[in-house]
This record gives sequence, C-alpha cells and structure tokens, in this order.
Amino acid sequence: MHRIEDATDPADTGAFIAEQDVLRAQHWAGLARLMVAPPDAATLQALAAVTADDTPLGQAWGALGARAAVADPAAIGQEFFELFVGVGRGELLPYASFYLTGFLNERPLAELRRDLGALGIERAAGRHDPEDHIATLCEVMAGIASGGFVASGLGCGGAGEAGFFARHIEPWAAQFFEDLAQAPSADFYRAVAEVGALWIGIETRAFAMARAGAAAPRAAAGGRIH
Amino acid sequence: MPREILRLGIVARSHPPATVWGGRVLRPVAVLPVPAPLAAGTVMSDIEGVQTVYLGDHALMLHHGETAHYLMNLGAARPSVWVSLDGARVHLVTPDPFEGEALAGDPERVVEAVAMPPEVCAAVAAFVAAHHAPEPFEKRKRKPASITEADPRAPRILAPDQKWGAR
Repeated sequence: MHRIEDATDPADTGAFIAEQDVLRAQHWAGLARLMVAPPDAATLQALAAVTADDTPLGQAWGALGARAAVADPAAIGQEFFELFVGVGRGELLPYASFYLTGFLNERPLAELRRDLGALGIERAAGRHDPEDHIATLCEVMAGIASGGFVASGLGCGGAGEAGFFARHIEPWAAQFFEDLAQAPSADFYRAVAEVGALWIGIETRAFAMARAGAAAPRAAAGGRIH
Repeated sequence: MPREILRLGIVARSHPPATVWGGRVLRPVAVLPVPAPLAAGTVMSDIEGVQTVYLGDHALMLHHGETAHYLMNLGAARPSVWVSLDGARVHLVTPDPFEGEALAGDPERVVEAVAMPPEVCAAVAAFVAAHHAPEPFEKRKRKPASITEADPRAPRILAPDQKWGAR
C-alpha cells in the first residue's frame, strides 16, 4: 500500500516521466501543500521565489508569490483556521461529498474510497479528514502524474488518470475554488484560489482534448465499417 | 420570569385513632391568608381528642407559566389550594390543580384541597390579570414539503453572522 504522505516524491519510481507530467505533479503537489495546512515560513519563502511568465497561470502564480513575500505565517494560520476549521465549522467545507450532495460523508466519498482501494492508496496514520478533502485529491493527482501511484487499476493508459479526475475532481473543484475566492476571511487564500481555479480549468480542458483525440480515430474506423 | 410568593398559615387536624394499633394522621383543613403568630406545631384546640394543629407558614408560589391552570381553579365552584404534608411537615402549597392532583397520586403522601380564602383568590386573580398570555390551540398536521421552504443543506460559504461567536 502506498501512503499519501510519500506519494509526491517522484524520485523512487525509476520510470521515465515526461517533463510536462513532472510539472503537473508539482502544480498538484503545490496546491495540496497549501490546502492541507497553512504554509510555514519556508514554504512562503519558496513561493516568493516563483518566477512568473505572461500566461494567466503564470500571472496567478506570480501574484501568489508576491503575496507570499509579504505574508505573515501567523496571520495565514488564523485565516486558514477561519476558512477551513472554524468553531463548529469553517467558512468552507472542502469536501467532494458536500459539494456534490450537500452533506458530508455521502456516496461520492464511498465511490472515491472504492477507487482509492483499486489504486492501492489508503489514508496516512494521523490524518483524520475524510479522503474527499481537496488536499487529498490534489495529492493523489500529484502522485498519479509523477508515477508514484499507478492509475492502471482504474483504466488503461491515461484513461485511469482522466477517469479519476473526471469522477472525483472535475464536478466540483472549480466551484470550490470560486467559493474560496469569495469567502469573507480569504486574503492570502484568494490568490491560492485564483491559481486553483485556473489550474482546474487547464486540467479539465487538457483531459477533454485528450479524450477527443483518442475518440477521433475510433469514430473514423467506425465510419469505414458501415 | 414574573412570579409572586404569598405566605400562608397552614392548619391541619387529626382525629383519635379508631384502633389501638393506629396512629394519628394530620390532614390539612384550612389555610390562613395571614400567618398566625404561633409556633409551628402549636395545638390550637383539642375537642374530644380531635386536635387542630397550626403547622406554621409556607410559601405559595405563583408562576406566570401556569396562569391558565389558575384560571381553571378560579372558575371552579369552590377555588382551592392544594396542601401536601410529609407527616407534620408541609411539603407543598399550590393553587395549580394539576400539580396538586399529580401529588395526590402518591398513596404515601397526604394531599388535601382546602378552600382558597377570598384574599388569596383576589391575589391570584390579580396575578393572572397581570401576566396571563392566552395560548391559542393549534392543531399540528403533516403537510407536504414545499420548494419555498428553507434549503435543509448547509450554506456553501458561511457568512460572518452565521458563525458561532456571532450568535
């Protein structure tokens, strides 16, 4: 069984990984790091060192880095508490089950656990959040992209990864990051929400393009039969 | 919470036992609107073995939540005060018929409804007039769910006034 905590380390796989998949894994792992706990001083320093290019995603990362350069870790910790912990509940509930059904621990969590079981992933000891937390899903995506997790249990080739994304992240993650950008206490996390929303949009379009590209030859072959 | 406490003197009577094995049992017979200047346990009269005993004064509490019961009591042919005794000790004095009759269900306890003096009647009537809030009866019925009712799901984004400390 893989443990989620060592999922994002691509060094132990030994398999060849395309460069864009390494970069995708880093995006997912970065989002996971920011959503699982408030960033500490070292993380903020690393974020501040991010260089931005002209693309919208690059601009969003640049804005996040600029916020991280002037941010106070204690203030971000308080903001994280108000957003995701709270007294009774936080301002947001970052769980797939809540976004898809309106209630926690519903059927989407059960379906996610079934898929995680097929992948051979289980919750790390000491983690008490249900597995449908956005940070957990980002870690799983990072692990699949980096080759630490093998998604072939869910489908052949890229279908396993695309299927996991389509079933468990695509239906709600964009809405969640939109809510995070609007939450009353969000300040540093508003910049995180911009990155997250853009990143979910890019991944959604990329998987749709891959699906369309895979479906086109099959449709052509079908046309020849008739 | 509006409430009012009246002090009433309690008078009880005991008859000589019918057999040599029986004992005397005190039963309340009257309440005095003004407590008498006597010590508790004073025998007021002893006529052919029938003893009338003054048991001291005791509080009668009027509570605003029970005014409907007081109205029923005042509307009866003879308004009463329910007095409950534990031996020679006064346990409870109440003008609420439901509370008094609930106590009477205990066979170990002496409970009597004694006549309410006119002064106490006037005090209870004044309390009811000041604090009675009529509660119209509403027959609750199952009704079909409506889309105009509030969404049972929790809000996606918790507003600041919905937080725990804001309430």
